[in-house]
Amino acid sequence: MTTKREGAIEEVAVELDLTLEVLDPAGAICEAHASVDRDSRAGFLRRATVGGAALLGALSVVPSGSSQSAGDVDILNYALTLEYLQSAFYTEAERIRALRGNAREAAEVVGAVERAHVQALRTALGRAAVARPTFNFAGVTENQRQFLKTAVAFEDLAVGAYKAQAPRLKSKPILAVAISIHSVEARHAAWMRRLFGIVPAADAFDEPVSRPQATRIVASTGFITSSGKTERKAKPRFTG
Amino acid sequence: MAFDSRQSRSDLLQRAVVAGGALAAGGVVVAGLPTRASSAPSPAQDIRILNLALLLEHVEAAFYAEARAKGALRGELRTFAEVVGGHEQQHLAFLEKTLGGKARAKPKLDFGKATTDPDAFVAGALALEDTGVAAYNGQATNLTAGALAAAARIVSVEARHAAWIRSIVGKTPAADTTDSPLTEAQVLAAIRKTGFLRS
Repeated sequence: MTTKREGAIEEVAVELDLTLEVLDPAGAICEAHASVDRDSRAGFLRRATVGGAALLGALSVVPSGSSQSAGDVDILNYALTLEYLQSAFYTEAERIRALRGNAREAAEVVGAVERAHVQALRTALGRAAVARPTFNFAGVTENQRQFLKTAVAFEDLAVGAYKAQAPRLKSKPILAVAISIHSVEARHAAWMRRLFGIVPAADAFDEPVSRPQATRIVASTGFITSSGKTERKAKPRFTG
Repeated sequence: MAFDSRQSRSDLLQRAVVAGGALAAGGVVVAGLPTRASSAPSPAQDIRILNLALLLEHVEAAFYAEARAKGALRGELRTFAEVVGGHEQQHLAFLEKTLGGKARAKPKLDFGKATTDPDAFVAGALALEDTGVAAYNGQATNLTAGALAAAARIVSVEARHAAWIRSIVGKTPAADTTDSPLTEAQVLAAIRKTGFLRS
């Protein structure tokens, strides 16, 4: 967004592409379901908003083992990266407490939903999940107008990104979940747009945003300061 | 053809499917058959599904057009009816063009006071927009890739509409993690529940 970041764009873009590579295809998802221990799952269910449990349940019917396509894992990791970005953004805004009124409520509610999306995707991906990158929002969350403008950009981007990937998903259960997250992001986009003072739905048709384009847009913000890697530490054995 | 006569014809064909095990309907579009859980995508199925979407867009487009024509709404509700009505009209035109000769007929509609009374208008808009989201989401896995891409461009706009109208009346615009899908039968029931369809 600011010119001083332009020099770092290329570097961040390369890092982001590496973040989005498939690093542990196939069998990981099946293992992940076996390895999620009860305590963390219960913790997630307590924290998630109403639909969070349903989302987790929906993702748990994803076929396991060799029937899981590497392409789908790759797309889910891409979605996870965008959800990490959004969730970190709202979480920081809530923590910094610079927002007031309706914008503050929006950050809290939408943040909870994006955090639930992160948890659900991480659970579905298991060891194949890319780890959380580190972020620097450079004061954007400290100013209500900047916050809203950025939130609009993120949500509109998420809508376009999910939309572009949906037809490429092989698994029907994953497609069903992705398409139901996609419309939620669109609700968020309308919400943030109205708070920012622009029309919640500008056009009759929303267009897909290609992955290279989305990657460029995210990289250009400079918000991601280091890429995540695949989780390497061992998960606790299934205790249930 | 009126919605009613299509439904009775679909009843006959539904019995034929149960008895014969195969739907020998050629290019005929049949509304009202329940979608099987794992229906393989096909161009013929796309037509059925897009006609379900077309039914909804007919109702929405007419709803907002009448609200605009009657001119009773004020402020942001009026803006909403204008902007959203424009979108629904474009959705309608797109689906009719896509379906061509296979497009279902416009249903007979009666909106009562929902196009003039603000509370009734909000309730109607909310029901239609949320049903639209759930309808498209419910059929996503049954569509071919091309039809899915087209439906995806529409469903997110319906979701924006739904969040917008909630915002206007002070409800939380989006509290859920996912948007629940509806089956074809549930969508039809939801539309009938509005009371806007005249059989």
